[in-house]
Amino acid sequence: MDKKIWKSLDELKFPVKSQINKQIEFQDSVKEEFDPNQLTGISRRKFLAISAASFALTTVACTNYRDKGEIVPYNQKPENVLPGKSNFYASTCTGCSNHCGILIKTREGRPIKVDGNPDHPVNKGKICATAQASILNLFNPERYKKPLKNNNGKWEEIEFLAAFSSLLGAINKAATEGKEIAIISKPIFSPSFAKILNDFKTKFPNTKIYTYDFLEPYPKQRAWMDFYPNQNPKDLDFSKAKIIVSLESNFLANEGNFVRNISDFVKNRDVNSPQNFSRFYSFESDLTLTGANADYRIPLHPSQYTYLLGTLINEIINSNKLLVNNFPLEQLRSKFSIFKLNEFVKENNIELKLIKRLVDDLLANQGSSIIIAGDSLNYEAHLLTYLLNEILGNSANYRPKALPVLSKSSLEEFSILSNSIQNGTVGLIINLDCNPIYHLPKDLGFQNNFKKVSDVFSFLESENETAHYSTTIIPISHNFESWGDYYDGIAVYSLAQPVIEPLYGTYQKESIILALVEGKMRNDNYHKYLKEFWEKEIFSKANTGVTFEQFWFSVLHNGVFVSSTTKTEKLVPDFSKVQNINISKGQKSWTMVLKKPYFLADGRFINNPWLLEIPHPITKVTWDNYLAISEKDANALKLISGDLVEIVYNGKKFEVPIFIVPGIAEKTLTIEAGFGQNNVGTIGSNVGFNPLVLFTKKELETGYVLSNISINKLDRKYKLASTVEHHSLNDTFVKDLHKSRHIIQEGTLESYKNGKFQVHRIKEKMSIIPEIKYTGIKWAMVIDLNKCVGCGACITACNVENNVPVVGKDQVIRGREMQWIRIDTYFSGSPENPEISLQPMLCQHCDDAPCENVCPVVATNHSPDGLNQMVYNRCVGTRYCSNNCPYKVRRFNFFDFRNHFANGFFYQDSLKLLNNPEVTVRSRGVMEKCTFCIQRITDARHTALAEGRELKGSEVKTACQEACPANAIIFGDMNDKNSEVSYWRNHQLGYFVLEELNIKPNVTYIAKLRNKLQEDKA
Amino acid sequence: MLKSQLDYLLKVRLPITAFVVAVAYFVTFFISRPERDSVGYAPEQPINFSHKLHSGNMQIDCKYCHIGVEKGRFATIPSTDICMNCHTIARKDRPEILKLAQFFADEKPLRWKRIHRLADFAYFNHAVHVNKGIDCKHCHGEIDKMDKVQQVQRFTMGACLDCHRNAHQRLPELKDKINNGPDFCGACHR
Repeated sequence: MDKKIWKSLDELKFPVKSQINKQIEFQDSVKEEFDPNQLTGISRRKFLAISAASFALTTVACTNYRDKGEIVPYNQKPENVLPGKSNFYASTCTGCSNHCGILIKTREGRPIKVDGNPDHPVNKGKICATAQASILNLFNPERYKKPLKNNNGKWEEIEFLAAFSSLLGAINKAATEGKEIAIISKPIFSPSFAKILNDFKTKFPNTKIYTYDFLEPYPKQRAWMDFYPNQNPKDLDFSKAKIIVSLESNFLANEGNFVRNISDFVKNRDVNSPQNFSRFYSFESDLTLTGANADYRIPLHPSQYTYLLGTLINEIINSNKLLVNNFPLEQLRSKFSIFKLNEFVKENNIELKLIKRLVDDLLANQGSSIIIAGDSLNYEAHLLTYLLNEILGNSANYRPKALPVLSKSSLEEFSILSNSIQNGTVGLIINLDCNPIYHLPKDLGFQNNFKKVSDVFSFLESENETAHYSTTIIPISHNFESWGDYYDGIAVYSLAQPVIEPLYGTYQKESIILALVEGKMRNDNYHKYLKEFWEKEIFSKANTGVTFEQFWFSVLHNGVFVSSTTKTEKLVPDFSKVQNINISKGQKSWTMVLKKPYFLADGRFINNPWLLEIPHPITKVTWDNYLAISEKDANALKLISGDLVEIVYNGKKFEVPIFIVPGIAEKTLTIEAGFGQNNVGTIGSNVGFNPLVLFTKKELETGYVLSNISINKLDRKYKLASTVEHHSLNDTFVKDLHKSRHIIQEGTLESYKNGKFQVHRIKEKMSIIPEIKYTGIKWAMVIDLNKCVGCGACITACNVENNVPVVGKDQVIRGREMQWIRIDTYFSGSPENPEISLQPMLCQHCDDAPCENVCPVVATNHSPDGLNQMVYNRCVGTRYCSNNCPYKVRRFNFFDFRNHFANGFFYQDSLKLLNNPEVTVRSRGVMEKCTFCIQRITDARHTALAEGRELKGSEVKTACQEACPANAIIFGDMNDKNSEVSYWRNHQLGYFVLEELNIKPNVTYIAKLRNKLQEDKA
Repeated sequence: MLKSQLDYLLKVRLPITAFVVAVAYFVTFFISRPERDSVGYAPEQPINFSHKLHSGNMQIDCKYCHIGVEKGRFATIPSTDICMNCHTIARKDRPEILKLAQFFADEKPLRWKRIHRLADFAYFNHAVHVNKGIDCKHCHGEIDKMDKVQQVQRFTMGACLDCHRNAHQRLPELKDKINNGPDFCGACHR
C-alpha cells in the first residue's frame, strides 16, 4: 500500500503548493476583485430612512392578518391523482438510439424525476446521467413556443395553422414542380412513424429521407457488414466475458448501450464470488472512464491498433492452441506474419510479458473473452477485431443490438443531397429535430446549401445552429409530452406516453407529418393512429386471449412488450475481406482523436446546465471541452494547462485550450465533440470548442482520427474550471503519512483469494464522547468500489432529487460547486501510465460528527435514526461546520444561486415546476449537504405508519442508489442483522475513510480488488 | 453644565426612552400575536360554505369531502365534482348552490382562501396523524360548529412540539394508543 497517491499532476509536481491550497479556506480566485467602490452608494441617512419606513410598515402589517393565498382544488378530479402522492408512468427515453425504458415520477401532474423502468429489458431499471437530466429540457424556458418565420433575417411569430398551411403549400409546390423533398432525421426506431413517413413518400413520390446518427460511426458498421455479410450488427454481452480487451473503446461511459454494459461488466466484479472475476485489459490513447476501470491499462498511439491486432492475431494463430478451426489458417498466417510481437512491444515501449500474458489469457479463455474496438477506430481495426473474436470462438458473446426501422444513410447520400441542392433540384428541406449544420462534415457545404433552398422547415424543441439556416421553425413537443413507439428490430416494442399536456401547445413531429399525409391537422391524431397501428400490426404478435384494449393498457402500464419470436441466428463470417485489406503498422505522427462527450449525447443537450456542471469523470473539468495532452508532450511543446493552441490540419485551423492529463499516449491529442455550438440558448451557446470544423466527409467515414496535424502555441490563456483539487481531504497534519491514511485501499484479487489482503482497520479506539445507543433503525450506506465505474449518474440523480442548484463556470472556478455527491479521482504510480482509483464521496453521517460540535446555533445535529440533520431555517451561515468537516462534503450557498446563475435562469416560471416539492429550496447564506434522501425515508416511514406496520430499512432507496447502473450503492438499516447493509458493513473488505479520526462514519467502502498479478502491482 | 446635561441624558432620558420602547415592543408583541399566528383568521370565501350545516347538523364525515386525509400529506380541499355528488339533486335552487353549479358547468376551479398554512420548510403529513386516531378538532378546532371557518390553534413549531412532547396530557383519550411524536428536526424539516 506504500505507493504515492495523487489527485492531480499539480499535486504530484508541487506538493508544497498543493498542501497550502488544501489548508486555505477559499480558492485563490475568491479573494480577487472585491472593490468597495462597487458597493451601492447608499448614504447613512437614506439607510436610516429606509429602516424607519420598513419598521413602520412592519408595524402596520402586524395589525392585520396576512393573506395566505389560495387553495385551488380540481373542478373534476382526475382518477388516481391525489395531491401529495407521486404517480409513476412508464415511457421511453429518446435521448440516444438505445431507447431505454423510463419511469417518470409525476406530482400533481408534473414530471419531477426520471428513473429506469425495471421491467424494460434494454436497461433493466437504470438510466444514464443524461436521461436523468433530460427533464430540464422539458421545462427549458427557451423552448420554441410559437412557429417562427424568417422574414429577411428577422424572426416573426406566426400561428401554428399558418405555418402548417405554408408547409403544406411548400410540399405541394415542390411536388408540382417535380423537385425533391428532402427529410433529414435521426435514424427512426418507431415502426408507426416509419409507416407514416412511407405513406408520406407514397403521397409525395419526390420525397427522400436522409438519416444520420452522429454517435454511430460509419467504419464500425461497414466492417461488420463486410465481415458478417447480410447479418445484423450486434452488441457485446460483457456478463459472459472472463477476459475483456478494449481497444480505444469507452464502452462503460458512452459507447453502445453503456448502461447495460456497466451492469453486465460489474456482474463479474462481485467480491462474493472472486472466482468469477473478469480480467480487463484496456489499450487507449485517451484516459477514459473505461480505462480507469481496467486491471491493465496500456496507453497506445491511435495509429497502432491495427498493428496491435495484427500482432495478437499472429501470436494466437501460431500458438496451436486454438479450439476453433473454421477459418483459412494458412492464409491468415502468411497475411499476419509481418507483425512481430518483439518489434511491436519495442516500438511502443510496452512490456513484453504483458502482451504475452494477454495472449495466454485469451487462449485460456476461448469462447469466454471479448475484444471490443472503439468507435473512433478505422475500418481495418474493426475488421480485425471481428476476426479475432471469431478465431477465439467468442461469437456467442454477442447480444442483439437495436436496429432502426429506417436505417442510417451513408455520408455519400448526403453528398448527393448536397449536389442536388446545388443543381437546384431540391424544393424543400424538412429537418426533423436534428442539427445537420453542426454535425455533417463541413466540406459538404450545407451551410451555403441550406440558403439555396427556397423552403427549409425545421421541427425543433429549442434553438440550434440549423434553426438559423431555416426559413420556418415549427416547435415540437418534448418526449414527455408525446406519444411514441420504438422497436429494437428484434423483439422489444416500447411505448412512450405523454405525462403532461404540451406546455406551449405544441404538436409532436409524428403528429404534424401525419397531418401532412392526411391533409389536415386533427387533435390527438397520432395517438389514434398509434393505437390503430398497434391493433393491426403488433397485437397479433402478442398471441394473448385478451382484447386489444386490455393489451394496449397493459403495455402502456408496463412501458414495454417483448414478442416471443426471438430467433437465434448463428453468425457466418466471411474471411475473404480480411485477405483483401491492406494492413499497415501505422506511423506515429501527431494525431488528434475525436471522442464522444460523456453527458451531452451528440451535443443536443448542450443547453442543459445540469449536464455541463457535472465534472468530467477523469479530469473534473466542467463547462468546457479541451484538448488533452500528455505531460511529456506538453513539456516538449512548452505548454501548460490552460494555454490556447492552434491545431492546423489540411489548411484548416482550430483554436482550443489544452489540459494536461496523465496517462495519455505519446503524440496524441484527444478532444470531445458536442461542444462549441453557437446559438443554442443562453446556457449552451459558445460553451467549449467545436473540433468538427477540422473534419471532412473523408475523415468521418474512416474513423474519428486526424493524423499529421500541427500544433502552434498561441500567447493566450483560457481559464478551465476543473474541480479536481477542490474539496481535497487535508493531509497536512500527517505530512507524508497520507499514504497511511488509507483513503483509498486496494488489493489484488490474488491476494484476497489466498487471504493475504486485509484492509486497514483501527481496532482500538477511545473517544471522549460518550457512546450513544441507537435502538431502532440506524441508516447506513455501503459503496462497493469494485462496482462503481464513476459514470456520474448518481450526481445528476441527486441534483434532480434534491433541488441542488447550478452555480455556473465562474463559481466553479471559485470552488463553490454545490453537488452533494462527488466522485474523487486518485492517481497512483507514474504520470505516464497511472493507476486510477475512483471514490464517490458524500456526507458520511458520522455518529460523532465534527460539524455538529461547532455549530453555534445547533442547525446541524443528530437524529435518533443516525442521520446528521441539516436544518436550513436555523442555519445562520457561519460555515464553521464546513471548515470542520474532514470529508469536505458540506456546500454553502454563497448566493441565491438560482438567481445568481445566468441572470436568474432558474427563476423563470417554467423552471419552478422542475423542483422536487418534497425538498426545501435553499436560499443564500445556508449550508447544505447530503441528507441520505431524508424525504424518501420520511415518506417510507409515513407509508409504514399509515399501514400500521414497522418500517424496514430495505424499503428506502436513495436517489443515487436508485440511479446507480452498477448497483454499487447499498442503503439500509445497519441494526437489522439480516439486511444487506449490515452484511457489507461487516465484510472483510469494508473500511471507513479517515477511520483514525474516530468520528464513526456511516458510509462503508468496499476495497477495490484488481485482477492483476501481484508482481504487476505498481 | 456639560456634566449636568450628560447626567440628565443618562439618568432620565435614557431610562424613559428605554422603558417606552420596551413597553411599546411588548404591548405590540402580545396584542398582535393572534394576528401574527393567524389565530382567528376567517377570510371571505368564494362560496358561503357552512361546515356547521354539513358537518354539524347533517353529520357528514370529514373524510367524505377531504379524501386525502387518510392517504397522504394533504387532506385536500374537495374538488367541485364531490360537491356535485349531492348538489345535482339537493338544494338546487339556493343562490350559493347556483354559484357552485355555475363553477362546475364552466369547468372553472373554485379558488378558496387559504386559512391554515404551515411554513414552507415544515412538512406535515395528515395521514400519519389521522390514522393514529387523532381527531381533526385537535388542530382545526370545533369545525362542526363554525358557519365560517377560522383558525383556532397557533400553527407554530411550539404548538406542534407541545403535543409531540406531551401526547398523553394533550390527547388523554388516546393514552393507550399513541406515544410521544418524534421531536428531531428531520421529522418535519428537510
